[in-house]
Amino acid sequence: MSALLEVKGLSRFYGSLKAVDDITFSLPEGTILGFIGPNGAGKSTTMRIIATLDVPTSGEVLLEGKSLVARPDQARPLLGYMPDRYGTYDDMTVFEFLDFFARAYRLRGNERKARVDSVMDFAGLLPLKDKLTSELSKGMKQRVALGRTLLHDPRLLILDEPADGLDPRARIELRELLRALASQGKAVLISSHILTELSEICDTCAIIEQGHLLATGTVQEVLSRTSNAAAFSEVELTLFAPGGAGLEEIGKKAERLLLEQPLVTNVTVLNHAVRFRLELAAGQTPSSGWVEEASVRVLKVLVNAELPVTSFRTREHDLEDAFMSVTKGRVQ
Amino acid sequence: MSAEVLSVPREPDAFDRFGERLADRINPIVVKEVRQGLRTRVFWIFFSLMLVACLFISLFAFAASDGIADRAGQATFIAYFVCLGFVQFFVIPYAAYRSMSREAEDETWVLLTLTGIGPRRILAGKLGSSVLQGTLYASAATPFLLFSYFLNGIDLPTIIVGVVVSMGYQVFLVSVSVSLATLAESRLVRALLHFVLLGILLQGLGFGIAGAALIGEFAQKVTSSSAFWLTSLCVLFGMVTTGLLLFEAAAARLSLATEDYARGARMVYVVQFLGAAALFLWGWQLSGEAEVLTAGSVTLSVYATLVGLFVGSDRDGMAKLHWVTGGRYSLLKPGGLRGYLLVVTLLLFVAAVFFGLALTEGTLPMGAMLVLVAAPGFALLMLSLPLVIARWIPHPPWQTPAMIRLVFLGLVVLMTGVPPLIGEIVSDADDLFLNALNPIVGLINIERQSHDALPLVLLVWGVAAGLAASAFFSLRARDTEWLA
Ligand SMILES: Nc1ncnc2c1ncn2[C@@H]1O[C@H](COP(=O)(O)OP(=O)(O)OP(=O)(O)O)[C@@H](O)[C@H]1O
Ligand SMILES: [Mg+2]
Repeated sequence: MSALLEVKGLSRFYGSLKAVDDITFSLPEGTILGFIGPNGAGKSTTMRIIATLDVPTSGEVLLEGKSLVARPDQARPLLGYMPDRYGTYDDMTVFEFLDFFARAYRLRGNERKARVDSVMDFAGLLPLKDKLTSELSKGMKQRVALGRTLLHDPRLLILDEPADGLDPRARIELRELLRALASQGKAVLISSHILTELSEICDTCAIIEQGHLLATGTVQEVLSRTSNAAAFSEVELTLFAPGGAGLEEIGKKAERLLLEQPLVTNVTVLNHAVRFRLELAAGQTPSSGWVEEASVRVLKVLVNAELPVTSFRTREHDLEDAFMSVTKGRVQ
Repeated sequence: MSAEVLSVPREPDAFDRFGERLADRINPIVVKEVRQGLRTRVFWIFFSLMLVACLFISLFAFAASDGIADRAGQATFIAYFVCLGFVQFFVIPYAAYRSMSREAEDETWVLLTLTGIGPRRILAGKLGSSVLQGTLYASAATPFLLFSYFLNGIDLPTIIVGVVVSMGYQVFLVSVSVSLATLAESRLVRALLHFVLLGILLQGLGFGIAGAALIGEFAQKVTSSSAFWLTSLCVLFGMVTTGLLLFEAAAARLSLATEDYARGARMVYVVQFLGAAALFLWGWQLSGEAEVLTAGSVTLSVYATLVGLFVGSDRDGMAKLHWVTGGRYSLLKPGGLRGYLLVVTLLLFVAAVFFGLALTEGTLPMGAMLVLVAAPGFALLMLSLPLVIARWIPHPPWQTPAMIRLVFLGLVVLMTGVPPLIGEIVSDADDLFLNALNPIVGLINIERQSHDALPLVLLVWGVAAGLAASAFFSLRARDTEWLA
């Protein structure tokens, strides 16, 4: 099955600045793709082009197999776009705001009423129907904006940093809404630099920096690829001392032992917790499972020395680490 | 359906249903602006202020009318008109500007674009809602204006003409404001535009009120002369076509580079240019003086240079879609090359017609004839030189339309200002050869030198032809190079 959205060799240059440089990816329906990158990476630029609001310097974007660059007018009914600033009008209620956009989308009479009602219902806006949009909280404004993108029942949703500035509860609610939309068969493209959020929302993710796509795939794929490729891993262990007696001594002993081991660096001791880092020497290429092998070796030494270790864990690689190990924090 | 019945306890009656059906048909922007407008305080404040002011004027006029009856009607008419004009020519256009520029500031603009209603309908919606507001104000003020009729000194047709023309003038000012708002891309430009707009509107208000005074003063005396009708037609034509041109230019600016954005603006340009030429021909017929042809040639040349520059310095190339469907052969399709060709073709055509008519008429003095011929040459020169210079510098910022217009401005200053300065030092400020390519002093010299100026005219046309060819070839080369 061919994907709903296909982006092929997309580039957008502003003079000599390559905001987006040869990006290729695809998005099948019913999936959520997370677009992750630091500030100025080119996320918004890419999304604006897909939303037919800008024209690429080169490359092609296909929606339902048809060029969206050549025929923006045909693509627009199929996509819903939410910019990183959700614009609202002053002196308009939530209902009037949605009703206006429904009119603009050429919905008429009862069809329009039904559509606005169902969107308000879906986004939980019914209680706010008669409130002025300018008086809403950020989370509510964002729901109104999401509701607006759904009015014409688009197949592709492009959401630019929708989770930005939301409190944890609003984020969880957003996640539920997006999951529901994906299960209806919509494709969702969502950008963020809030990575932990995306790992729970997205099926696949794409990491972008300085206009280049650095990694793409399912969340698991990107995670395992980046964790294998990483040249270091953080480890944390806890020590047991009844009533805290002799804790300092035990800690010092652990620190001394650890520092004698190969690959171990950055040891810090803080009460019960000891943190250190397993790190390959510069130039050594990471083989798969090197972290586990090194961990086993270190733990064996500690146990043999009769140190009261109660827990020992290498920190799970999450998207945050993937992001940090793949991108270099370069800003253009 | 059931949800609606719950929230609206009253059953919608026939009037409501009719209203809804009507609202379904009209431009959604108008519905939105009316809803918003009725909720803002600004509308109600100005509405009541205007009514109160009109009421005071009436009381004053009523009290004063016992003593000096003669021309009280005319004075009160103008006084009412100042109140109405302030709202119609200042408050409403300014509100339209704010509403449009806020669409850009708050980024609601892109949301509108994506709904597919298109820039033209959005602009028309803004225009339409302003007209609606204006009508509301005008209909509130009309009883007062009629009251001035009963005070004598002004007749009914004059009052009606005044109200109708003021509505047209308001549409023009709103169209200027809304178009200006689409230029505001950065914060700096926005701040600058704000002042420009305030200046324009204050001046527009002045013109409007002066116009009303003029109508009040002269309407009865001159309505029968054809000169009056020609002048009115010229003013109306200029107002309507300039408003339309700005409107279409704004719509084009709000379109994507891949869209077929140029058509509307270029059509209006063609209509305005040919229409203006026709009006000059009519003036020539009416007056029977061949000098009108020279005046027409000079005016149209200046016009083609100023407005044509914008049409001719469009961005290069066009989308593949238009290219493969034969768009490259249409002068109405996007791209600097086609815009330039359109302007030049029209200019040469009209110049040839005027020249031919002047020749057959045979009454034109030699000086005026040479000016008639030289003016389009200067226009061609001033249109082509900025293009050639900007294209010649191989640095991307120089290739943008804005830069070409800046180069043009620089050239105008240089070419009209510097030769007289050097002339002042070397010989005379209006030295013939130093000012040969000076579009102002050069043209005056040609008129003065009469028969001896032929070589100067040939020089101007020679340089213009060379530059035009160079501009054409560089535009053609870039037309395919930047194929989007
Ligand atoms: N209109 C423009 N003109 C010139 N440069 C631009 C323009 N728009 C964006 N850029 C540049 O393109 C690059 C990518 O910008 P973009 O907005 O796509 O980044 P982003 O990934 O969305 O960043 P953020 O997380 O801050 O939103 C930036 O360096 C930006 O300065
Ligand atoms: Mg962004």
